[in-house]
Amino acid sequence: MAAVLPVAMPSDPGARLSALFDAHHERLYRLARRLAPRADEALDLVQETFLKAARSPGAVPAGATNEEAWLVRVLINIRRDQWRKTIVRKRHDREVGHSSGVDDSQEAALIARATVWRALDILKPRRRAALVMYELEGLPIPAIASLLGISAVTVRWHLSMGRRDLARVLKGQVGETNENR
Amino acid sequence: MKTVKEILRDNDPLRREPLPDDRERERIRRTAVEAASRATTVRTAYARAPLAALAAVVLIVVGILAVGARTGPRGSARVYAAVRFEVRLAEDRAAAGLREARVSGDRVVYLHEEIVVTNADIERSAVAQGSSPSRFSVGVRFNAAGAEKMRQATANHVGRPIAILIDGEVVAAPVLRSAISDSALISGDFSQAEADRIVNGIGVRER
Repeated sequence: MAAVLPVAMPSDPGARLSALFDAHHERLYRLARRLAPRADEALDLVQETFLKAARSPGAVPAGATNEEAWLVRVLINIRRDQWRKTIVRKRHDREVGHSSGVDDSQEAALIARATVWRALDILKPRRRAALVMYELEGLPIPAIASLLGISAVTVRWHLSMGRRDLARVLKGQVGETNENR
Repeated sequence: MKTVKEILRDNDPLRREPLPDDRERERIRRTAVEAASRATTVRTAYARAPLAALAAVVLIVVGILAVGARTGPRGSARVYAAVRFEVRLAEDRAAAGLREARVSGDRVVYLHEEIVVTNADIERSAVAQGSSPSRFSVGVRFNAAGAEKMRQATANHVGRPIAILIDGEVVAAPVLRSAISDSALISGDFSQAEADRIVNGIGVRER
């Protein structure tokens, strides 16, 4: 039975939450902003993540690395729920034809002219997070695997599928992909 | 043609937007901290009902024991702690008066005879998430007397091991990085059942 260390543990839940916030809010915001389409939505994501920690203090593991991984996963899960609702709403709007009021050909033209940002919205949040962490944050694959709680092989798969999906949407814009580190 | 990295970098919103200002940051912090405090209050309120029921059960048991003591054969009813918790100072090298103890694998530490704190010095304990979803840690918070004992014992022991014993077995012997006072986290490799057993057991004191 291995155990590691006794550490100072803030006894007051508010104090612990405050310490969690100080240690991780900026990192979470950076990730949230790269996952959410707008800054206010990124702020909401960060707030929801810390509210989840506030309501379940016992679920937050100890240690800075474990805390960060827990918070990152919660944030991605919240974003995934939002993303799913958005996808369903868009599909519904397309079916009833009242949101954009465009036909299929116009929709296709819109997609063809879509910005990279909108193209990124097709990626599932976890896959998008893996791409962001790898390409923008410069994290190595083992670190991403640890943060997301998945295997290195799965991270590689997400990176590969993410690039493929982006290349498909951004036809003619994406060249050779980078080798995974 | 651009690479995915270049496309992401060129369209990174953080390149053009500032991070949230102090006002936004404080708003989120305040909301979360207030939620944490509210959650604690609600839990405490809910905890009162089971405590009332427990008190009633204890009264009934005490009543039965009192009657039994008058009518039955003489004897004593003792309740033992389900889990015996101890903290002792330890050393990496053998010396006179120290007892050898195995920690895990081949690691050995040498325990001081004196016990720093026991169950009686703990105010509360809790199961915490461990290093992976299926592993758990145990957090303990010492009462005032326990915190003072820990502070005095560990202040001059920094850089040397401290042993945490559960039921006489050393479950952790980390090297102290700083003095400990009011709380400690025994982090590591407990299963949910082990962590629950320890936390439930720590709260029961020998009478």
